[in-house]
Amino acid sequence: MSLTHLNARGEAHMVDVADKPESRREATASGRIRMKPETLALLAEGGLPKGDVLATARIAGIQAAKRTHELIPLCHALALSKVAIDFRLDEAASCVDVTATCRLNGRTGVEMEALTAVSVACLTLYDMCKAVDKGMEIDAIRLETKTGGKSGDYRREAGEGGSEADEAASPIVTGQGHGGQVSLGSRCDIATPCIRVKCLAELRERLGVGDISVPLDSLTSADVAGLKAALKAQDPRFSRLDEGRVLCAVNQVMAGDATPITNEDEVAFFPPVTGG
Amino acid sequence: MIRVQEAPFDAGAEQQALLAGRTDIGAVVSFTGLVRDFNETPEVTALTLEHYPGMTESALAGIVDEARERWPLDGATVIHRIGRLAPGDPIVLVVVASAHRRAAFEACDFIMDYLKTRAPFWKKEHATGGDYWVSERESDQKDARRWQQ
Repeated sequence: MSLTHLNARGEAHMVDVADKPESRREATASGRIRMKPETLALLAEGGLPKGDVLATARIAGIQAAKRTHELIPLCHALALSKVAIDFRLDEAASCVDVTATCRLNGRTGVEMEALTAVSVACLTLYDMCKAVDKGMEIDAIRLETKTGGKSGDYRREAGEGGSEADEAASPIVTGQGHGGQVSLGSRCDIATPCIRVKCLAELRERLGVGDISVPLDSLTSADVAGLKAALKAQDPRFSRLDEGRVLCAVNQVMAGDATPITNEDEVAFFPPVTGG
Repeated sequence: MIRVQEAPFDAGAEQQALLAGRTDIGAVVSFTGLVRDFNETPEVTALTLEHYPGMTESALAGIVDEARERWPLDGATVIHRIGRLAPGDPIVLVVVASAHRRAAFEACDFIMDYLKTRAPFWKKEHATGGDYWVSERESDQKDARRWQQ
């Protein structure tokens, strides 16, 4: 099994899942936070200075699942249909067990979302309780089950564990827009200033990408040449932009390497035209 | 009038629409381009036309504007189809009206030459041997350069 997020040169890239069928995806992850028995008692009684600890951590986990794409570099925004966070107070072990379940119908798994939800719920529990207990420990954050998708279902075996991830991370949805699929590129999908890049016709097919957002601050110079350099640094396939005749338009007007570009500009690369 | 559409067009109806109510027009030239069943390979079974929405329309409008600056035109219609087309299907229509024939002939020729080299359309041919994107032709570039001399 290979790492799907690495290309042949070992560099990070987004996996194109355009041709994968949609299926119902669900993942459950778990983790726990160990604390002093007194802290757990205060938490159970609602006696902590920051108020309702579990309700706050639950909302934090749900919010985190929805924002996984902002945290994990090769994840894209997914329209999750369900995020559920549960807590179990274990007085014997003096810890809180956290589980998160995420679900959607789509082409990519949701285990990163479930793991992110658990992680942030645990961090929020720490934040809510740290006034009385700085020695708390977060551990055993892990995937419990995963269903749907080509790689098949996964269920953690009893005793299986440690840091050995036996599953490759699930592919990421890219911006190829077809029915019902997550589509990026019609606007900047990242919060920072960015350039919307379109690759058209044969160039799109050869690169395997139609729409991509490029952060403005990744450009060495604020012009088309700087954008090309940023794209090539991101993925060597973009060296095609220098092969043969590739034309460029900025905001739908023909442009050259020296044409300046700025935030929210639409830059299209395409082969020589062949209409008529 | 500029249109980019999937639907077929009726060249006769478009010409009549351009001339309707006008008695000052002395010449109308119409060009219709058709899908051939041979191009880079024989046995082309279909063609898929892709374009760049927004830029395509403005590029066509710019070409017509340039034609109006060069020749005294009384009207111009450009219709280009997109999507999947079969051999024999009409693909592009240019209708140009003027008081005199020379202006109409030349402007129609000019619009087609510029359309083929400047408007963002791309053809993918589906042939019995497989699919491939049509490459640009030097002869089209040469034709377009005639108007720059």
